[in-house]
Amino acid sequence: MNVLWDADEPLSVREVQDALDADGSGRDLAYTTVMTVLDRLGAKHMVDRERDGRAFRYTPSQTRESAAAELIDAALDASGDRTSALVHFARSVDPAEAAALRRALDEM
Amino acid sequence: MTPFLLGLIGIALSLPVPALLGRADWPYRSPAAGIVMWQSLALAAILATSGAGLSTALWLVSEDDPQPWRVALHVLLLLVGVLIWARFWWAVWTVWRRTGARRRRQRHLVDLLAEPEGDVSDRVGPALRVLQHESPVAYCLPDRTKSRVVVTSGAIEHLSADELRAVLEHERAHVSARHDLVLEGFEFLRAAYPRVLRTDAPLEQSRVMVELLADDAARRVAGDRALAGAIVALAGSQTPAGTLGVGSAATIRMARLRDPRSGWWAAGLAWAISVVVLVVPTVFLAGPWIFHAIDVLRG
Repeated sequence: MNVLWDADEPLSVREVQDALDADGSGRDLAYTTVMTVLDRLGAKHMVDRERDGRAFRYTPSQTRESAAAELIDAALDASGDRTSALVHFARSVDPAEAAALRRALDEM
Repeated sequence: MTPFLLGLIGIALSLPVPALLGRADWPYRSPAAGIVMWQSLALAAILATSGAGLSTALWLVSEDDPQPWRVALHVLLLLVGVLIWARFWWAVWTVWRRTGARRRRQRHLVDLLAEPEGDVSDRVGPALRVLQHESPVAYCLPDRTKSRVVVTSGAIEHLSADELRAVLEHERAHVSARHDLVLEGFEFLRAAYPRVLRTDAPLEQSRVMVELLADDAARRVAGDRALAGAIVALAGSQTPAGTLGVGSAATIRMARLRDPRSGWWAAGLAWAISVVVLVVPTVFLAGPWIFHAIDVLRG
């Protein structure tokens, strides 16, 4: 996924495989392995694919930044409806309450 | 009489009783017993409502001298019972699917975006993911097998080592005790009731109580002071996305950390309420009615 995010253009399976092999970790991934992973990412709507001749070329369906923003937005959403998916450590509070909490901590 | 008494109990346990208890703060003194109390109230309400529906149906088919107004009342009662049942199972289906889909999506995103951090995680359990983002946020995505605890790099910066340990322990407690299932149960129930018969008290109070339970786990590992520091650091450092009144979970949790006496009388009261609401209607109404029903059905 990081390879796709770092690339400026849609990549083919072969190109992704080359990039993964070239990252210096000494991995030698099979073409079919890379293809399977890309296929799964497609099923999870993380990548889009387009036909290019006989092969598919893959692009991330959202940028790294927008994916991070989606996660953080969901986490910060205080509406209570969407949050059932997450269990928070502490929700944000308004400034007056935050000040009261700080005072309480100082007294401990 | 049984249908109406059960119906009344069902309505009382659905709305006025929880609304009244929701205003009390003694249940927070004993969160585990408090959660049991809310669950018993919910179960008793469901049982009473179902009992009302069943006994109404029996009355309708077995009454020798049905006057129109009594029939109308019974049909109404039956309809409310059936409606709540249908809505309950519909809610179970939709809420379950929706949360599941959302959690999966979140987990895929988290796994792609965040590198697994071996050095911060110090033991086996839910996988820890550190998200590169300046907002200090910590949460967990509970699941049967693929749980994730997520903290942002911003959160790690805001917290001392002890505070971070408290946060992680707190989230692990949520995951391992499956607090999400407890809350989901109350969400199903809330969705089952029509708006006029609904109260948010059980869900709201239980939300805070699972936090208190997870706090207890965190305190044992990291200590009161570290946990309090973590609550203040994470609750007080963000711009709120919505307005939350004073009296939110953070304040209750802080108050409990400063005065952590265990409320044995609160636990006792909560257990007593649980037993009363479950046993009394069963013994005095449902039991005799079942014998009556057997007699009637045998002819």
